[in-house]
Amino acid sequence: MGCGVSKSSQFNKHSRKAIRAAVLIQRWYRQYVARTEMRRRYTWHIFQSIEYSGEQAQIKLYNFLGYLMDNFTPSSTERNLISHIFRENDVCWDSEWERYFCYKNIEVPEVYSGPHLTFPLTVEQAVGLLEAFRSKKQLHSRYVLELLLETWKLLRMLPNINRISTCHSKEITICGDLHGQLEDLLLIFYKNGTPSLEKPYVFNGDFVDRGKDSIEILLILFSFMLVYPCDVYLNRGNHEDHIINLRYGFTKEVLTKYKIHGKRILKLLQKIFSWLPLATIIDQKVLVLHGGISDSTDLSVLTKVNRYNYVSALRPPKRRNHSSAGMSIDIDMDDDLWSTSKIYQRRASLTYPKPLGPRECFHNRSLQDFSTRIKANMENELEHSKRREVILAAALHRSQQDILSASTDSMNSDNAKDEWRQILDLLWSDPMNQDGCIPNEVRGGGCYWGPDVTEDFLNRHNMQLIIRSHECKQEGYEFCHNRKVLTLFSASNYYDVGSNRGAYVKLGPDLVPYVIQYQASSMTRELTARQSVGRTERSALKVLREQLFAHKSDLLCAFKKVDTKNAGLVSLIDWASAVESVMHLNLPWRMLRCQLVTCKSSDGMIDYYDWFNELAIKGPNTDHIDQSLLETLYRHRSTLETIFRIVDTDNSGFISMEDFRQTWKLLSVYLKMAITDEDICNLAETIDSNHDGSIDIDEFMEAFRLTDKKSRLERGRSMFMATTSDLTKLEGDPNV
Amino acid sequence: MAPKKKEEPKPAAPAAPKPQEPERPKTPEFDPATVTLEFTPEQLEDFKDAFQLFDRTPTSEMKITYAQCGDLIRALGQNPTNVEIMYVLGKPKAEDMQTKMLDFDQFLPIYQHICKAKDRGTFEDFVEGLRVFDKEGNGTVMGAELRHVLATLGEKMREDEVEQLMQNQEDANGCINYEAFVKYIMAS
Repeated sequence: MGCGVSKSSQFNKHSRKAIRAAVLIQRWYRQYVARTEMRRRYTWHIFQSIEYSGEQAQIKLYNFLGYLMDNFTPSSTERNLISHIFRENDVCWDSEWERYFCYKNIEVPEVYSGPHLTFPLTVEQAVGLLEAFRSKKQLHSRYVLELLLETWKLLRMLPNINRISTCHSKEITICGDLHGQLEDLLLIFYKNGTPSLEKPYVFNGDFVDRGKDSIEILLILFSFMLVYPCDVYLNRGNHEDHIINLRYGFTKEVLTKYKIHGKRILKLLQKIFSWLPLATIIDQKVLVLHGGISDSTDLSVLTKVNRYNYVSALRPPKRRNHSSAGMSIDIDMDDDLWSTSKIYQRRASLTYPKPLGPRECFHNRSLQDFSTRIKANMENELEHSKRREVILAAALHRSQQDILSASTDSMNSDNAKDEWRQILDLLWSDPMNQDGCIPNEVRGGGCYWGPDVTEDFLNRHNMQLIIRSHECKQEGYEFCHNRKVLTLFSASNYYDVGSNRGAYVKLGPDLVPYVIQYQASSMTRELTARQSVGRTERSALKVLREQLFAHKSDLLCAFKKVDTKNAGLVSLIDWASAVESVMHLNLPWRMLRCQLVTCKSSDGMIDYYDWFNELAIKGPNTDHIDQSLLETLYRHRSTLETIFRIVDTDNSGFISMEDFRQTWKLLSVYLKMAITDEDICNLAETIDSNHDGSIDIDEFMEAFRLTDKKSRLERGRSMFMATTSDLTKLEGDPNV
Repeated sequence: MAPKKKEEPKPAAPAAPKPQEPERPKTPEFDPATVTLEFTPEQLEDFKDAFQLFDRTPTSEMKITYAQCGDLIRALGQNPTNVEIMYVLGKPKAEDMQTKMLDFDQFLPIYQHICKAKDRGTFEDFVEGLRVFDKEGNGTVMGAELRHVLATLGEKMREDEVEQLMQNQEDANGCINYEAFVKYIMAS
C-alpha cells in the first residue's frame, strides 16, 4: 500500500518533531517548577527561621527572668518587677476562686449589641456566638467570665488523656493549629458542619497567638464543648501558655479588647490552660497531641500527672521552701533545672553521642554569656556599685559550679523532672527523618524524634498512628515516618496571604485519615501558583531586610574583619559567611544575594556601606539618642515589649518612670547593652511628653519606629507582634 | 503459498522517547569516577547553598534523597529529561528514590555530567518546538492541542502539571501566543 507507507513516513517525520517539541517543553517546564520550588523553599525557610528564633528568644528570656527570680532576695526591686509572672496562683480554694472571678457584679449596659448568654448553654446560643463573631461583634466581659468559669468546671473533670471512640459509625474531625485565625475556623465549620452529637471534633492546640481573633476562637471552642461535652475535645498546645502569650500577641489582644476586665480574664485563662487535657486517644489506636513524643514519653506517667501544676510548660512546678534566714523563698524543684540546657546536655550524651549540629543552642552558651556580661557591667558600674549586681555576679559564679555538677535533690525531684520533661516534649517536639532523639535546639524546647522512636512507641502502646500539629505545612498536612505520623495545620495563609493551605482530618471506624484542604480568603484563589510564591517571597525578603538592618553594627564589625584593606568592599563568599555568622538563621545567603543586595558592585565585590544605605529604615526624629542604642532597641523590640508587658503588672498599658528605669537595668544585663542613666532619661523624656511620670508602652514602641504602624496595617500581621487593629484582613469567602 | 506478509508499519514514534540525547547505541552504566569536575570555587559555593536548601536533615548533614536530585539539578539551571536523571543516578528502583541519599561530593559529578550534555535548548529551539503546533502559521497554538500533546507525548506531564503550566495563558479563543509563552517559562 504505497499511499499508506508514504503517509506513515510523513506522519513519522511530523510526529518525531512533535515529540521533540513536547519533550523540550516538558524539560523547560520541569526546570521552571524546580526553580519555583526553590524560591518557595527559601521563602519558607526565612519565615520559619525567624519564627523559631523568636520562640527560642522567648524561652531564653523566660529562663533568664526565672534565674533572676531564684537568685535575688525577695525584697529586691527587680524581683518584684517580674515576680508576678512566676507566682503560682496564690488562691487555692475553689470557693475563693469563684469569688475572685465573680462576674455577677458586672453590668451589661443597654447599648451592648452583642450576644447575651444564659447558662446552661444551648446549641442555639453557641451557633449564635459564631454568627456574632462573624459579624465582628465582641462578647461582653461578663459573659466571657461566666463562660470561662463554666469551662473551667468542666475541664477539671476531664482526665489528662481523653479516650474517645468512633462507635456508631461516627467520623471524628480533627483540626490542627488555628492561631487566632477566625476565618479558618468559620471555613471549617462551613465545609464540615459545626460540632454536634453526630459530628465530634478534636482540636489539637495552639488556638491563640499571632492571629487577631484568639479570644473569639477560644470562646467558640469552649461554648461548643459546654454544649457537647462528649463530642468536643481540646488538647493543650505550646501556645496555651501565658509566658508565650506575652510575646506572641494573645495577652495584648485580650487587654486591648477588654480594657477593664482583661486582667481577670487572662488570669482565669491561665488556670484554664493548665487544665486543658494533654492528649486524646481514638479507639485506643490513634494518638492525637500537639507537639509530639520523645524516646522517654510514657503514657502511664502522663495519665497520672497533676497537669494543673504546669501553668506554664516552660517551668517545673514550684515548691515553697524556707531558707536558713527564715525567709520563705520560691525555689525550683531543682535549681539546676532553671535552664533547660542542662537537660539537653544530659540527653545529648545519653542518646546522641555526636556533637550537636551546627545550629547553636543559645541555652548552652547562655550561662557563660550572662556571667561575662554581668562582669563587664559590673566593671562599668563600679562607681555606683549596687548591691544587686554583686549578688547577681556572686550567685552566678556559685551556681555555675553547682549547675555543672548535678546535685542530688529531694526524693520527689526525679519524678518531677521526668514529669516535666514529658510534658515539655509533648507540647514542643518535632519529627525528623533520622533515627534517634535529639534536643530541639531550634525551638528551645522538646526534642526531634525519629522514625525508630515512633515505631517503638506505637508498638509499646499498641497503636497505629500519631496525629500532631505544631508545624506549619504548605499543604496543611504532611505524613512522615512511613505514614505513621501525620502533621496537621489548620491556619491557612499563616506566614502571608497565599503561603499555605490549611487542612483538617476525618477519621472513621476504619481509622484511615481522610484529609480535607482549604485556603481562606478569595484573593488567593485568583493568584497563580507563581504569583503566590512571588508575593510571599517579597514579604519574606522585606522581613529579612529589616532583620539585617537591625544587626547593622554587628554586620559592620564582621565585614571590617574581613576587609583588611579597609576598602569598603567584600567578596561574595566573605559577605555570605559574615552575614550568617551574625544572623544565625542558616539561610542560603548567596542565593538570596541578588534580592538583598541591589546596589551595583565592581567586579563581584560588594560595597557594604552602600548596602547599609540601601537597607536603612527611615529613622525617627531622635537625633539626640545614641544610634547604636536605637539599633539595639530595634533588634530586640519584641523582647523589649515583652518585658514592658511583664513589668506592667496591672496591665494598663502604662508603666511608671521608676519601673521604666528598672526595666532598662534588667535589659542592659540581658542584652549586653551599656546604658547609662542619662540615656534612660533622654529616652523617657522623649516619650513622657506630658511629664506625668508614666510611659505609654505602645506610644514608646511607635515613637522609635520599633513598630512601623503603616507596614503593620499593610501586612495585616507582623511577624513579631500580633496586632488587634488589623484592618486589612479580607472578608473571607467561605465558598471554597 | 502464503500471501506476502505485509510488514507492520512501524509505530510513528519510538515507544520510549530518547529525544535530546545524542544517539548512543548501548548506554553503559554511568560511572561518576570518570567525570572530571570543572567548576570554579565560586560555583561550588553556589551549589552548596542550593544543596543545603534541599537538605532536610535536621542536623544539616548535607544529604539529599535521590528523588530530590532532579529538582536540585533543575533548580540550578539545567533542564535534563527524566531519563537523563535516572541515568546519572544509576537507574535506581522506584522504592530507592525516597530512601537512598546523596551527599554533596556524590552530587557534583552527576551535576557536571548533566552540565556537559550538548543540546540544552535555547529560546529559539523552544519557539521552534512550539511552532510545530502552529497550524496556521500565525504565531499562536491551540491551548487544547498543546495540553493534549504535553500529556500524551514525550515525558508525559500529569494533568495538574499541565494545568499549572497553562494557567492564565490562553486567550478568549483558547489560543496561546507561543513566543510570549516561552518568555514566560524562561523568565522564572
